[in-house]
Amino acid sequence: MESKIKNKKIKSNINNDKPIVKLQNVSKIYQMGEVQVPALSGVSVEIFEGEFVAIIGSSGSGKSTMMNLVGCLDTPSIGEIYLKGQDISKLTESDLSTLRGKSVGFIFQQYNLLPTLSTFKNVKLPLELQEMDDDTADQRVTEVLKSVGLATKHHHYPKQLSGGQQQRVSIARCLAANPEIILADEPTGALDSVTGTEVLEILTNLWKKERKTIIMITHDLKLAKKYASKVIELKDGKIIKNVSNKQDI
Amino acid sequence: MKIQKSFQMALNMVLHSRLRSWLTIIGIVLGVASVVSILAIGDGMEAEITSQFEDTGGDILTLTAGVSSAKFSRGGGSSESSSAATAEEMLITRNDYQTLNGIVDIIELNPTISGSVDIYYQGESGSVSVSGVDGAVYKEFSTTDLKDGRVLTGSDSNVIIIGDKLSEEYFERELSLNQILTIQDKAFRVVGILDGGGNSVIMPLDTAYQVLEDKVKNEYDAINIKIKDEEKLDETIELIEKKLMMSRHVDLNTKDFTISSNAALAEMRQELITTMTSFLAAIAGVSLLVGAVGVANTMFTSVLEKTKEIGIMKSIGARNKDILMIFIFNSGLIGFVGGILGAILGYLMILLLSVAGMPVVLTASNIILVVSISIIIGMISGLIPAINASKLSPVDALRSE
Repeated sequence: MESKIKNKKIKSNINNDKPIVKLQNVSKIYQMGEVQVPALSGVSVEIFEGEFVAIIGSSGSGKSTMMNLVGCLDTPSIGEIYLKGQDISKLTESDLSTLRGKSVGFIFQQYNLLPTLSTFKNVKLPLELQEMDDDTADQRVTEVLKSVGLATKHHHYPKQLSGGQQQRVSIARCLAANPEIILADEPTGALDSVTGTEVLEILTNLWKKERKTIIMITHDLKLAKKYASKVIELKDGKIIKNVSNKQDI
Repeated sequence: MKIQKSFQMALNMVLHSRLRSWLTIIGIVLGVASVVSILAIGDGMEAEITSQFEDTGGDILTLTAGVSSAKFSRGGGSSESSSAATAEEMLITRNDYQTLNGIVDIIELNPTISGSVDIYYQGESGSVSVSGVDGAVYKEFSTTDLKDGRVLTGSDSNVIIIGDKLSEEYFERELSLNQILTIQDKAFRVVGILDGGGNSVIMPLDTAYQVLEDKVKNEYDAINIKIKDEEKLDETIELIEKKLMMSRHVDLNTKDFTISSNAALAEMRQELITTMTSFLAAIAGVSLLVGAVGVANTMFTSVLEKTKEIGIMKSIGARNKDILMIFIFNSGLIGFVGGILGAILGYLMILLLSVAGMPVVLTASNIILVVSISIIIGMISGLIPAINASKLSPVDALRSE
């Protein structure tokens, strides 16, 4: 019964009209000396607003390449990627950065905080990059730090925080610019199971309550099944499964 | 990203920089400090020359025989170089004195002769330079202050004024005021001691003819000329030259005398000092250049070290130009910090030099100039590393450890 209610709620979150991310026959080939190594081959997928997508696969399957492409950190060798309807291969570096800053938030396995900036300044940085005025930015940073339970850690530096706290700072930084899409690359990979669960609960809340589109990379099928609304499995740079959760995984 | 935020990021990078950055800054500090002190020394020397020029007055000219571009000088006479004309033609004589005396733009004339003489004092002997001057006008031309006693007057005969070294150091016992010095078997009483002047002896012209045996009465080594209007220096020199050429029956091609002015001399010395200062500043500039190479090296290493951070910043929306600005500000700040610390060190060095008695002048404009150069050098040195940093691919940068 509870599961049915949950599925209903999930469905209501998803906007199936227009994909927020669309990959159309995307290939990414890396040149390693004289050898060409395909990391993704002919991948086509649509991710809709409000979905919680888990991308799973073993090492070298192309998960990270796919995340980099979706996050506008890289451009495809072949094919097109549409982010909010815009073909990213046609954008300039500056436009791509702006789009990335405003629409995509990253959460990394190793947190990737700047070690010389305090918690507050780390979280404020994306807003400074967007040239937001100081008062609004400070207010926003205070809000998001409170939402991840770090209201008392404003002046701490990353090295003064635990792994779980650092990942929450990373989530707060990702949320600061209020992006529609959150890309999480093995967000619990460096955390113990309790802290990892706390982090995933935060992500679930963001998905459910704030209608964020979440794309999470993981190698843990159990986690994918437990939290995601859609699971995409990659193998050798190709999608071998793309199924909605609670179905046949 | 706003400029001031890029600046704050760069400042944060400098404040959290490692020892290597500080060593780079020390390189800049030493370069800036040496440039600042050399400029101060140069300015000090220039100021001293200017003050000497003011002391001696720009209104005094000197007439000597010969032309200054000539190749040899006349032995025993004037130390000025002289022309290739015959010895007879090269004398400055009473005729010249009278010619000059007739020029209204001239206030005073002081004919002088000089030469080397043997001296005796309380059993000791030596050889010094003696100058004969017109006692009546000597005061008007004297450029050295008196330490003790009085100047010569028109009625003096067997008296002398001596330099401070001759008074204090030349003989075992001090040659003080009213003591008798024997020159060429004639006794002279010391009536004045100069504050400076070395081992020189100054005596009335008529007396000098008696001790300088090779000198002929009414022939001079030089005539010092005091002119009426310093502002009309060039015109007056022109006028004097014209009159003298007429009286000496020479033209521009056969001109056998030289009129030199203190002003021209001071200008020449100033040019020399400027050249010397520029040369020294160029050497100091090389150390600044070495500092600049250090900045470039540090910035290249810093970009390598911060590759991951650059990737992180790009992943959260930093544009190429944001990264570029941050790194340029970073290297500019290294230049700025190095410049400021260098200026402080330079100031301390200047204080030490000044205590040691060296003439130094520190101007705000020099400090601003050197610190600005240091900032610009820092920025230029950091430019290529900054461009490299800004062009890093976010994926590659994030992957680096």
